[in-house]
Amino acid sequence: MNQAITIGLARMHMEVGERRDFLPSFVARLVRHGSKVVLEHGYGSGMGFAEDDYQTAQSNVQFAGREEVLEQEYVLVLRCPPDSELKQLRAGTTLISMLHYPTRPERVELLRSLKVEGISLDSIKDDNGKRIIENLKSVAWNGLEAGFQVLSRTYPTPGFESGDRAPIHATVLGVGAVGMHAVQAASRYGKLQLWQSLASRGVPGVQVTAVDYDVASREHILREILSNTDILVDATQRPDTSRYVIPNEWIADMPSHAVIVDLSVDPYNFDVTPPEVKGIEGIPQGNLDQYVFEPNDPAFESLSNFVSTTNRRHVVSCYSWPGIHPRDCMESYGNQLRPIMRKLIEKGGVQNINPKGLYFERAIARATLSRWQGTEQSEFIKTKSRETSNKE
Amino acid sequence: MSLPRSIGFPRMKNEPGEKRVFLPEFIQFIANLGVKVYVEEGYGSRSGYTFNDYKRSNSNVIMCRREEAFQKDVAVVLRSPKPDEFQLVKRGTVLISMLHYPTRPSRVESLKELGINAISLDSIADDRGLRMVENMKAVAWNGLEAAFDSLEKLWPDLVRPDKKPINVLILGTGMVGKHAIEAATKLGSVERNNDHIASNGSGAVAVSIGRNIASNAGTMKSLMEQADILVDATQRRDASKPVVPNTWIGWLPKHAVIVDLAVDPYLLDVDPPVVRGVEGIPQGNLDQYVFSAEDPNWDKLVPASIPSQHRRTTVSCYSWPGVHPEACMNHYAQQLEPFMEVLIEKGYDGLSLEGTFFERALYRATLKAWMLEEMSSPHSARETD
Repeated sequence: MNQAITIGLARMHMEVGERRDFLPSFVARLVRHGSKVVLEHGYGSGMGFAEDDYQTAQSNVQFAGREEVLEQEYVLVLRCPPDSELKQLRAGTTLISMLHYPTRPERVELLRSLKVEGISLDSIKDDNGKRIIENLKSVAWNGLEAGFQVLSRTYPTPGFESGDRAPIHATVLGVGAVGMHAVQAASRYGKLQLWQSLASRGVPGVQVTAVDYDVASREHILREILSNTDILVDATQRPDTSRYVIPNEWIADMPSHAVIVDLSVDPYNFDVTPPEVKGIEGIPQGNLDQYVFEPNDPAFESLSNFVSTTNRRHVVSCYSWPGIHPRDCMESYGNQLRPIMRKLIEKGGVQNINPKGLYFERAIARATLSRWQGTEQSEFIKTKSRETSNKE
Repeated sequence: MSLPRSIGFPRMKNEPGEKRVFLPEFIQFIANLGVKVYVEEGYGSRSGYTFNDYKRSNSNVIMCRREEAFQKDVAVVLRSPKPDEFQLVKRGTVLISMLHYPTRPSRVESLKELGINAISLDSIADDRGLRMVENMKAVAWNGLEAAFDSLEKLWPDLVRPDKKPINVLILGTGMVGKHAIEAATKLGSVERNNDHIASNGSGAVAVSIGRNIASNAGTMKSLMEQADILVDATQRRDASKPVVPNTWIGWLPKHAVIVDLAVDPYLLDVDPPVVRGVEGIPQGNLDQYVFSAEDPNWDKLVPASIPSQHRRTTVSCYSWPGVHPEACMNHYAQQLEPFMEVLIEKGYDGLSLEGTFFERALYRATLKAWMLEEMSSPHSARETD
């Protein structure tokens, strides 16, 4: 019989709009599988859960202050805490979080210096290298839902819900994992109920044009497509983030009612060489506090002078799209994480995880900091990882 | 509760073009789980494998006759055995195959009568109902690859005469349709696309539409007139009606290629009859999956009562993943490995919905679970092996 492990679940104290915590049902399972669980006071309150909700689901759940939670032998939190809080972790603690080893070398070094083991949720992968813990579908669906909400207001006569209007023309740039979800989401207005409602009333649907990254930068092809685009989705994964896919000048070709949906959420960063820019020039970057931007929003003015914002359309952009619907998001993450945590608990801790063991053991082993060989990662992998690091 | 100690791998007796067998690495994986693996004599020979490729000095790997392979504790064969072959399966044997319970009621009856403990690969599903042993990506990619191959014969290096991007119209926005979009924008082959783009080619643009646009003749006319490739990736609610009536095919340019990924059959002797999504196209298999408009087999494969006067080059295959057999079986093996581990550990009778993630998924695919489920809610499902 392995010894029961103790898991502290910390809250995320990022922007005000960050409301996500693991659901009571997930927490209850951690206890049922044999672990002891300590939740930070206020856990789940952003989604309307009281401490009673967690204790009703599982009476053995305890609550404590943040400091005590961070002192547990395992600490589970979706988004990685800031460095100042990482320093509160005790040597020997295992931090289970989105740690993004490939793009956060300083964080890796800090955790190693603190003698903290990591299990990076974004590095839990199957035998084919496919991520087991991810929510790219929500990135696409939540972004498109927000985009169509805006389009329903901006769409000209005869109106978005009119049976006399033409099919909506959506254009998706990039056909990677997010792009493919985006095509599905766009064809259903980003919301199944709305799709069903409009379809039942005979309102023409959405015609989605998908353009691969390689073709998206061809001016003569894209500008013709943009001139007939109601909703433009950036789901590109650029190998070179110093170059725009859509320069600001091209936005002028889009109808004035058009909406831009930013799913790639690459930031502007002019402090590095070469500078990093967003895929579409001149759009602001949003977060859970604000993700809808009218063309006259002050956020456009606050962009760097290096960025042209001359041509503007309505924009929806969010650093954490899955967080728009926190319960759905955490239910999804909980379902994906359940077998991982069960295996970890059953084995009595990460030190007993066999890298050549069964499926989930192998997956966990790949995500441990102690096995991460950062220096051996190719530039390609670093690039790919960066492009998905902003989507939890 | 008995745990399986022997696993048989009989060959598939399908069309000559069916070359898929489980690969030596998978056989070794199973043998190393501590069970005896019985491989039918000649297994893999169509793909150039010998028994020694499977054996690799592993004492747990044994050659056997076909009948023996079906008599072991577990028998694994990708496509379902023919009805008469079920007689070869020993009562109580666990038969793992693509059995398609929802659309094969007579097969289900045979399995029950013969006391076969069936596990249907297409019914292995996670807690959200998503299939865990599937190759829909290969359905889309192999189909689109064949279509672009055809088009490339007309347009070398896939360069249109007007240098514009190739226009691919995709009907259906489900899982296969989703993969079709990616395959279409990569010209059905990543390598070909890389070369094409490096040569400053214009690539392809995919237009994806659902049923509420596909049902509008006016919109469809303008879309089809511009399409170089038309892809049927639909999952129809009513299989008695085509999505694209044959007259609409006349709207396609003469050079256009139709890609059939839906692979619904013509079944005119059932009520209501089942017709293909694109009216008047033939259904292919691994022996022939490319049909020019002049192909003599067209009239043999399309019932006379189905309108088919408008024809374009069509690519259609009942088993698209089998076009690239090794890649396909490598893919299936990786999906199957954790389930084989569970089955050997728990046995058929030990599987339950209370178990681990993979155990729950495997339990859902058992015949007993299907019978319980079917009593409460009938299903329908796409068949793509």
